[in-house]
Amino acid sequence: MHSGGNASSLPLVGGAPEPTINQLSKPGRRASRFPKLDVPVTEINNPAIRNDKPSLPEVSEHDLVMHYSRLAHRNFAVDVGFYPLGSCTMKYNPRFADYVAGLNTFANSHPATPATFTQGNLEVLHELEKFLIEITGMDNATFQPPAGASGELTGLLIIKKYLEENGLSNKKDIIVPDSAHGTNPASAKMAGFNVVEVSTDIRGMVNIEDLRSLVNENTAGLMLTNPNTGGLFEENIMEISNIIHENGGLIYYDGANLNAIVGVCRPGDMGFDIVHSNLHKTFATPHGGGGPGSGPVAVKGFLKEYLPGPIVVKNSNGYDWYSPKSSIGRMHGYHGNFLVALRALVYMKLLGKEGLDTLGSYAVLNARYLSSVISKIIPLAYNEPCMHEFVATVKDLKKSHKIKAYDVGKALLDKGFHSPTIYFPLIIEEALMFEPTETQTVDTLDDLAETLKLIIEELQGEDVSLEEYPKNLPVGRPNELIPAKHLTVNWGDFELLELTE
Amino acid sequence: MFVPHSEIDLKKMFEELSISSLDDLFTHIPATLKLNDGLNVPPTLSELESISHFESVESKNTQNLICFAGGGHYDVYLPHTVKTLTMRPEFMTSYTPYQAEISQGILQILFEYQSLICDLTDMELANASLYDGATSVAEAISVAINKTKRNGVVVSNGFNPNTKEVVNTLVDRSKFDIKYVDLIDYMFPEDYIFTEEDAAFVVSLPHYEGSAQDLTTIVKNAKAVGVITICYIDPSMMGILKTPGSMGFDIVVAEGQSMGSPLSFGGPTVGWFATKKELARLVPGRIIGETRDSNHTKTYVMTLRAREQDIRREKASSNICTNQTLNAVGSTIHLSWLGPQGLYEIGYQAIQKASYMKQQLLDHDINISNPNNSLREFIVQTSKPAEDVIIEMGNKGFLAGIKYSDNEILVAVTEKRTKSEIDKYITSLQEVDNA
Repeated sequence: MHSGGNASSLPLVGGAPEPTINQLSKPGRRASRFPKLDVPVTEINNPAIRNDKPSLPEVSEHDLVMHYSRLAHRNFAVDVGFYPLGSCTMKYNPRFADYVAGLNTFANSHPATPATFTQGNLEVLHELEKFLIEITGMDNATFQPPAGASGELTGLLIIKKYLEENGLSNKKDIIVPDSAHGTNPASAKMAGFNVVEVSTDIRGMVNIEDLRSLVNENTAGLMLTNPNTGGLFEENIMEISNIIHENGGLIYYDGANLNAIVGVCRPGDMGFDIVHSNLHKTFATPHGGGGPGSGPVAVKGFLKEYLPGPIVVKNSNGYDWYSPKSSIGRMHGYHGNFLVALRALVYMKLLGKEGLDTLGSYAVLNARYLSSVISKIIPLAYNEPCMHEFVATVKDLKKSHKIKAYDVGKALLDKGFHSPTIYFPLIIEEALMFEPTETQTVDTLDDLAETLKLIIEELQGEDVSLEEYPKNLPVGRPNELIPAKHLTVNWGDFELLELTE
Repeated sequence: MFVPHSEIDLKKMFEELSISSLDDLFTHIPATLKLNDGLNVPPTLSELESISHFESVESKNTQNLICFAGGGHYDVYLPHTVKTLTMRPEFMTSYTPYQAEISQGILQILFEYQSLICDLTDMELANASLYDGATSVAEAISVAINKTKRNGVVVSNGFNPNTKEVVNTLVDRSKFDIKYVDLIDYMFPEDYIFTEEDAAFVVSLPHYEGSAQDLTTIVKNAKAVGVITICYIDPSMMGILKTPGSMGFDIVVAEGQSMGSPLSFGGPTVGWFATKKELARLVPGRIIGETRDSNHTKTYVMTLRAREQDIRREKASSNICTNQTLNAVGSTIHLSWLGPQGLYEIGYQAIQKASYMKQQLLDHDINISNPNNSLREFIVQTSKPAEDVIIEMGNKGFLAGIKYSDNEILVAVTEKRTKSEIDKYITSLQEVDNA
């Protein structure tokens, strides 16, 4: 192993469980101090005011800092090690963006501040919109959706309103591949559409014949990611978009896999009408342990007036807000996750033309290389050139040695790697989905493959108990049944758990 | 940029793949789709060049406006301890904690977050965050609709108009009837009659206008006919106001910005969502539970996963996937830093300073629409158009508040405001609005 500290060391330490902040609490301790009240005291009488103090922990500042720092040590992260996590694009998050996001009025503007006083913030959104529509081949964008799923819902509500205004309310079917991300059907349902599933052909792409049979006068649109969730480029994308458009439907691009094609080709040129981008994937903003993200939606010009408003426009006096005339309405209380958008802009500025033109190419290079090396250890799901990610399967190992994708993922954790995405896409048995991203070195990719080879050999050993993996981490495999049965979801329930076990 | 490969690395990779250029990776993509000249974007900037670029863009914002605006987002003091701990890269750059064994840090903090919110609101189960306050209201309405299978939604008009707009976007108005009920004298009418058609009752504590009332009787009346009651709270007032749980509410939601997130031009912040266990299976988003590992060690995991979109797909309780975890981490650490005394002080000082400000405004013959039953936020009347007053006040260094009507401004006071800032605000307002 040569990649030093990245994949070859164990970043997390074991040891005793960390108490909760509540268990560290002692009456009378406190971290907070406030200035003395500098106005005369008035008696306040309001029936909504309480007579007692709120229930919160009482801890010293040092205890607080030690507690949360110890918890930080029990957490894997991009800054700690390699996430070959398919569909998640866990690339390096430039530290410089932290600096910019912390600048005074970027971080501290009240969202109701008039445009006159927030020209810098509006410029950020306008500049990012220009990058985004160029990269995706669209015309206008909104930054309100705070995540990809919200972007999907935005897009679907735009389709719905567009169809209604054009007297096509009968169109109620949204077609979604059986390999799609779970958010696609969930969003379509939330927007009030019927979800129609199209199958995947033997090569791993949309089954065109099936698609033709499903499309009719009720088709409102299609949601698709390209490359798809198998990591394959939908080679018949022009035919697919023609089939939908000929039937009066719109086509929606799920931007989860956009990283593969940045600088290579553009959804707008493939016929997509609406695109969401995950700034926390493709444009390197940190995932924050599950969020915040940002899911801006870009559309072709004919859909501009349907966007959630207000959107930023540039005029002779500078930047201003504009409310689209047929807007679906707000998707967020204010302007979406502004600081996430800002970080994405920082990343795009740093990359510039040189970096953005080759972004997709290097993402694909790393994935193609890793797939080539890993295919010598376990078989790939499809015999096609992968884009930014690929799917391998251990279904044979499951048959021969009862080794499941889950076991492989858990054993990898022990070796300092995050698990690849497992059991997704749902249509592939015992799937392991790898997405290395362009920011990992070839040494780290080699280390991952080598480690995978070693653990698969190890797991096939005679006296191996698969359930024991991982062995070297703060905790072992969790019992997932206890909380579902006893629902211990706050510390007040702790004793309930003790009693019911 | 950030691509690590040397020429030697590339040679090794190209050899493995039997290719001679990056273009060879894409022979399967139709030629008509390929970008031959690349993207029309500006050239790369070094970090050094970027510093001056972004500092110059930032300087186009008016600097150091003293903030008297609220409406859900408040200029509460955010301690450095909270900021720096929240921004630790182990939290900030980690992924969703699906792999519990290497995610105990985030999982335990989210468990603490859920617990803190339950304690603070008198609820039993909180989720691990939603996008923001406005979308949390819409998600709560959706839970009530799913639970009751009814079509009516009773919403107090005492909400930020943006929140109402989000509700109107996300609740399908062709299927559900949203009835906005006007406040009377800035209070939700005690004698409002709910019907068995109503799925949800949604009200804000305090109201958008800054007034607050004990909602116990109204909640009781709503629940008597099977309505799910939803309370939207201002977390920074929870040190001083009665809990929604004690008033009988079924669901509590909040804009959590004031606990742990800077104002951030409105995002990222965090939507709080808490409820009773009987609604557990309808709750949107992630929930963290406590369990044991194979060695019987205390372990945290994501639980009740069968509600979520990656498993239930179109039958999920919500489409939410990415949430606002890092802001929830901020809320956890901020609440722990504050403790009972600190959270009380934030509310108490804000109300005292607002009382002082209201008295001073009245003494200077400036009218307040709701001087008596408001707490830290209230409505100031202007003779000039409110919009113009806000702009002119901005030129004098104050974010005067949020336009409430043509001649009214909603003003918020936090514990951060000083007597001197308040006095100067009033002098400036007199100058601006007397002309």
